[in-house]
Amino acid sequence: MNDNINFKVESGGLSFQNPILTASGTFGYGKEFEGLLDLRCIGGLVTKGISPKPRYGNPTPRICETASGMINSIGLENVGVEGFRTEKLPYLKICGTRVLVNFFGATIDEYVGCAESLGAMDGVDGLEMNVSCPNIKAGGIEFGTEPSVLVDLVRACRAVTRKPLWIKLTPNTSNIVALARACADGGADGLSVINTVTAMAIDIHTRRPKIATTFGGLSGPAIKPIALRMVHQIHRAGVGLPISGIGGIQNATDVIEFLLAGASTVQIGTQSFIDPAVSGDLVEGLREYCATHGVSDIRELVGALRLS
Amino acid sequence: MRYFQTRVSENRSLEGGYFVLTLSGCEALKASKPGQFVMVRGEWERDPLLPRAFSLMTVGGDGTAEILAKVVGTGTSLLSRAALGETVQVLGPLGHGFPEPSVDCFDLLVAGGVGLPPLLMQAEAAAAAGLASQSELLYGGRRAVDIVLGERLLQIGTAIHISTEDGSKGHKGRITEVLLQRLQAAKKLGKKVRILSCGPNPMLHAVGAIAEAEGIESHLSLEEVMACGIGVCLGCAIPAKSRPFRYVCKDGPVFDGADLVYETKLKIGT
Repeated sequence: MNDNINFKVESGGLSFQNPILTASGTFGYGKEFEGLLDLRCIGGLVTKGISPKPRYGNPTPRICETASGMINSIGLENVGVEGFRTEKLPYLKICGTRVLVNFFGATIDEYVGCAESLGAMDGVDGLEMNVSCPNIKAGGIEFGTEPSVLVDLVRACRAVTRKPLWIKLTPNTSNIVALARACADGGADGLSVINTVTAMAIDIHTRRPKIATTFGGLSGPAIKPIALRMVHQIHRAGVGLPISGIGGIQNATDVIEFLLAGASTVQIGTQSFIDPAVSGDLVEGLREYCATHGVSDIRELVGALRLS
Repeated sequence: MRYFQTRVSENRSLEGGYFVLTLSGCEALKASKPGQFVMVRGEWERDPLLPRAFSLMTVGGDGTAEILAKVVGTGTSLLSRAALGETVQVLGPLGHGFPEPSVDCFDLLVAGGVGLPPLLMQAEAAAAAGLASQSELLYGGRRAVDIVLGERLLQIGTAIHISTEDGSKGHKGRITEVLLQRLQAAKKLGKKVRILSCGPNPMLHAVGAIAEAEGIESHLSLEEVMACGIGVCLGCAIPAKSRPFRYVCKDGPVFDGADLVYETKLKIGT
């Protein structure tokens, strides 16, 4: 086994010991995995999304399983900015890995407030903005689906923090590249691609939706081909921002596919529910691939898809 | 703690779609308490995607563990057909169990259908501690076929009261009717009476309402769909009085009945 393979990556204003991160909403605030996964083995973690005030989440049922995936509508339950600072941050400061804090708001002001407060906290290495939330002042249209709105939102948050700012894009759009460009224009440092795909499931016996809010977000292997396509579209368009690939990653093969498509880091989501230790095991799989294929630096794989 | 590999050492199918799965290699579960649960997945790849939660029924000193399940969907169907020697991944023990049997208490153990395992385990633990006479097992199902493991139950030495809704075995009616009768008898014993229960949600709601009306302590083991079992997916939320939501996997699965909100849509006694 060749031990000289480099797994370190610089991406989106941060350095990571390896490209394996854990995705927001599937990793709690890190501490939940104490005893299940050695956080020092992963490149970084992304916390549950934080809003200005605590949120208690949606009524149940909140999740259901679908073919090769699951739909969730948790309702962005979280402890709020102050709860995060007092209850969650102390552990994250000593957890031994890079910490990105995901955040969101219902108005641009709320987003800016979060970015400023969270960005000022010691122990927060970077921010990841969830733009898949309804804009209450614009009739509930998602912030992240309209490039002209998105660029303003990114710019406003950019102005209040110097911490690396990543934008997590929604796949519920007809033009992912235009959204990626809006983020670049607004001054973002990186992109997380993709959030969940809007979906639903029906119980034919009760004739009811399988989750209480009717619609939810589809995650898991079912969305991997969509995520790969979007990562690659953005990469090919030359948007100029590094991409963290997310969507249905289960094993090292999936990770390599995302790297080849153009992602420089990846985030493990739903698979952490199925196997909480998976993120710590993936580097071994990457090592085997690299050794077999004569790859000495993991960065050689980024965007190395052969198209001709 | 992480998922560990076990092997199917026995897979016994019972009538009515029930089956008892025995797994070897479960040394990590030895100290499990009645009411605790495990997440279980076969070598399923992507269908089904998620592991399944099951209450433990038995943990043996020899590293075996048993779960009782009923075929309701893909996951339970696959497990019911798991062959001897097949590998199964297990995470546990998870969650909080029932309070321990006590010489100062008389416990009414109320089981509905496939909710039997944690109460069977509790009754056996009580018997092992010489407290078999300190509890009674009340066990209800729809039909006689829903009353399983009769011989094993009789061996425990704890008094057993059976009901079926169609009257094909034991009292004809719901187990909550039996509970109301036995509660009056238990109160006369001069000890603190507790209700420990596991079963379908409508039954648990009715049991909780009875406990509340009678001023009796209740410990209810709930079931909810969950993706992870470790407090991360937040799928298994249930409304509670102490907080807007509590989580079956981390805060339960056994809850103080007084903290639960009994949903009005599930009418008590129905």
